[in-house]
Amino acid sequence: MKRLLIATILLAACRPCTDARAADSVIARGAYVARMADCAACHMGNDGTPFGGGHVIESPLGSIVAPNITPSRQFGIGNWTEAQFARAVRRGLSPDGHLYPAMPYPAYAGLSDEDIHALYVYLKWSIVPVEHGPSVETALPFPFNLRTLMVGWNALYARGKPMKHADTASGGSKRGEYLVTVTGHCGSCHTPRNILLGEDQSRQLAGASVGGWFAPNITSDPISGIGGWSEDELVIYFRTGAVVGKSHAAGGMADAIEHGLSHLDDDDLHAIARHLKNVPPIRDANTTQPAYGVASARPAPPEPVDLGVRTPDSLTDATDTDGARLYTAACAACHQANGEGTADQFYPSLYANTATGGPNPQNLVMAIVKGVRRSTHSGFASMPSFEHELTDDQIAAVSNYVLNRFGNASLSVSASDVSAIKAGGEKPLLLRLMGRLDIAAMAGALGFGGLAGGAAILRRKERIKAQFAPSPEHLPEQGEHLTPR
Amino acid sequence: MTTHYDADVIIVGSGVIGSNMAHVLATQGKSVILLEAGVWIPRWKIVENFRTSPRKINRNDPYPSQPWAPNSYSPGYVENTGSFLFRPGMLRLVGGTTWHWGGATWRFLPNDMKLKTLYGVGRDWPISYDDLEPWYAQAEYRLGVSGADDQDQSGQHGAPYPPRSTPYPVKAEAQTYYFRRLKERIGAEGYEFLHEPHVRTNQPWDGRPACSGNNNCMPVCPIGALYSGDVHARHAEKAGCRVLTDSTVFQIEKGAKGLIEAVHCRSSKGVETRLKARTFVLACNGLEIPKLMLVSDVGNSSDLVGRNLMDHTGIGLQFIADEPLWPGRGPIQQGGIFNWRDGPFRARHAAIKHAINNAVPNQEVARILIDRGVVGSKLDHDIRHMAARWVEFSTTFEMLPYSGNRITPSTTRKDALGIPTMVVHYDTDDYIAAGAAKAKEDFVRFVKIMNGTIIDDNTGWQNRDHLMGTVIMGDDPAHSVVTHEGRCWDHPNLFIASTGVIPASGVVNPTLAALAIGLRTADIIARET
Repeated sequence: MKRLLIATILLAACRPCTDARAADSVIARGAYVARMADCAACHMGNDGTPFGGGHVIESPLGSIVAPNITPSRQFGIGNWTEAQFARAVRRGLSPDGHLYPAMPYPAYAGLSDEDIHALYVYLKWSIVPVEHGPSVETALPFPFNLRTLMVGWNALYARGKPMKHADTASGGSKRGEYLVTVTGHCGSCHTPRNILLGEDQSRQLAGASVGGWFAPNITSDPISGIGGWSEDELVIYFRTGAVVGKSHAAGGMADAIEHGLSHLDDDDLHAIARHLKNVPPIRDANTTQPAYGVASARPAPPEPVDLGVRTPDSLTDATDTDGARLYTAACAACHQANGEGTADQFYPSLYANTATGGPNPQNLVMAIVKGVRRSTHSGFASMPSFEHELTDDQIAAVSNYVLNRFGNASLSVSASDVSAIKAGGEKPLLLRLMGRLDIAAMAGALGFGGLAGGAAILRRKERIKAQFAPSPEHLPEQGEHLTPR
Repeated sequence: MTTHYDADVIIVGSGVIGSNMAHVLATQGKSVILLEAGVWIPRWKIVENFRTSPRKINRNDPYPSQPWAPNSYSPGYVENTGSFLFRPGMLRLVGGTTWHWGGATWRFLPNDMKLKTLYGVGRDWPISYDDLEPWYAQAEYRLGVSGADDQDQSGQHGAPYPPRSTPYPVKAEAQTYYFRRLKERIGAEGYEFLHEPHVRTNQPWDGRPACSGNNNCMPVCPIGALYSGDVHARHAEKAGCRVLTDSTVFQIEKGAKGLIEAVHCRSSKGVETRLKARTFVLACNGLEIPKLMLVSDVGNSSDLVGRNLMDHTGIGLQFIADEPLWPGRGPIQQGGIFNWRDGPFRARHAAIKHAINNAVPNQEVARILIDRGVVGSKLDHDIRHMAARWVEFSTTFEMLPYSGNRITPSTTRKDALGIPTMVVHYDTDDYIAAGAAKAKEDFVRFVKIMNGTIIDDNTGWQNRDHLMGTVIMGDDPAHSVVTHEGRCWDHPNLFIASTGVIPASGVVNPTLAALAIGLRTADIIARET
């Protein structure tokens, strides 16, 4: 009965549907598009409600909270028309104001009309409304709290056009490209950003830092990228998050696999893999072997120093910074004394592992700090967080031990590196420049708006006023206003 | 005039119960101080202490035992005067004794709480199973208890029992080969095998990884899959609770109108602090709480503080079976035999739980063989042979409360802080002796069914470390220490949260029950404070 009702509403609201089965099929397609676009990874409610919002995305400029996108009229998208929804998803302009590009609308701009429609129907008619907003609010520092700054930025970086359904549907000639660059928005993490934090199109998918983690180079380069992975290996990785001897997903990639990739069908996973293997290779100057290329453990250093006589004080002294001893006590129960992991690789080896052999130590440090949590229909991985177990000194010491024995021995980590990685990694140049001087910050803010605005002038002259006078009355389009969320 | 308080609620003891209550109250916006006598050290340090210990089977050995916060195995700390050497493994650090426990989290049966009414022995609880059920559910989710929803836990092979409002948060793990074979052979003779609910999560839970069968719950889980109280001490701290270590409470100060005014702490350096709160909770172990109350002359108008001490005093059985069973794979215990959990027999003898141990037996086997003079390659061979066929039962009995079984502060000894150590007097009775006679009849059958060769079927009484009765809960101020709320009859702002409040012991591990009662108490405190 309810289905029939929905179908009736759809008939009224959308393109022609002939019966409830057609509505079901649109909803099913929308659900699949939501998996392709990995909506849940960010919009999953903190209380586990689908699309309830509240997840905090650590952007380079600060914390951005993913909103409720359930059909709640008060807190979600219940009042949005399909056109408003499409504009929010593709152009970052919601009826409530400008979105930040933590929402990957520059990528979603390419969504086909059919997929946007299906996604809208799915969210609007099959998701249970969550009648509360996120418990925390987005709070970016000045000037980034001024959402109108996005107008200029969008003119520069959010210019994609919808792709054609015929090319991008299952089996279409551009299916792989569509899944990678549009719905999968892989570049949001894997493409480095330029000074204005737009994706650097000259270095697509060449690897970038994201909230302390490092999203590696996934171009087709055999040394720096995924050129050494077979298509099947990539598919296994997307489906399970782990390929023995290569890589084990953690951080944001674990989320992308858990909520998105692992739900896609085999044809699509192969299409993604094929596309990636054809992305133009980009070689990092200082890499000489693949990140998974450390084939075995190096010899252990001489026996750790004797712990001495057991005394009541020695049993409670947890200040040790000897990497070998810390590794034995904190890591070896799972990863084993020689780093080989368990026979079934449920606990992976620490060599032949991109987290330890990559071009920087970020993912190793972050795995120690945050742990690993990943769950797919083929099983789960769980490593506890050591954030409260080890000091920054100790994390540096054990990281260096691991890098020396099992990973990229040319790297080393200091306590201050650990502290910086924990704080989200190196801040973008823009933010660092602004942090130097308040006056410079003001100038920078204006420059940011101005520079972006300048570009906007070239593209869309009608937006000039909005650019330099970010006040509500100058907002150009109906339904847009500046209510921060 | 307004009174200055250091906190709304001060909780003494950071074990599983104190930490969870602190978390509940801090989450609800109360200002909470959690006091801990010992230190807060990371798991890796305890793992290191274990690895470097020459005393692998001494559960307390990897843990701190400072002269200013001695644990129960520190020489002289627990003095025994009765016929039984009562010596539970008690730890002093953030997280408490759940750092090493079997992790069994059974629910008591409704009948366990009506022992006097139904069977004419012992005492009744002042609350019913139904009163406690929602709090059991909450406790299970906090700890991530793994259990089977489909079994009659009364051991009578009936419908799922006792009633549950929520399923177990984590499903039961697969049966070990050892457990399955014992169940196939012994179970065929009418013995009722049950999966034991426990806190070795087998899926990621609240930041804990899944159990991977290190088989080392005692002395320490090397990966933190086994729940320990420090999990919620951390959560409490994150919610705003102040966790103060090296803060041994040595005196409870009484004020006007029967209220408790303050607690006095002493640090390892001898620094004393007086802390005031609206409400106080004692959650620092079933022996330490009555000791502190007696030292402070608090809450003892009934003269029952420290009395009615109960453990699930037990006996053991070890034998070598006629086939390899490969004990030691997976969790250290997975269940047991429960035919004697409840029934009219409880008017005559104790309820019985035959728990099956699944600890790696190699060390015990090697000790036995070396004692027999076996050496060389035969030693290797025999260790392999015996360790593969080793079967061990750890049987426990329901104990009744006796006022003579008690803990008192020592009048002759003090620890480094000048606080009296403890004296425990404990005797067993005919009720558990009659239970043990029944259990030994079962032992004969178990050995016969498995064509076993007995290693030890006459262990004598053993500790089970389940401290109950010492701050007993009841509905009559003359015959109990606390009300059903956990509130001291004598001091309306003093609550006790501990296995020590349990008035009828049943035959299952009491931590989950005490946590459920403690969560119920926290809810009462939250509404009053």
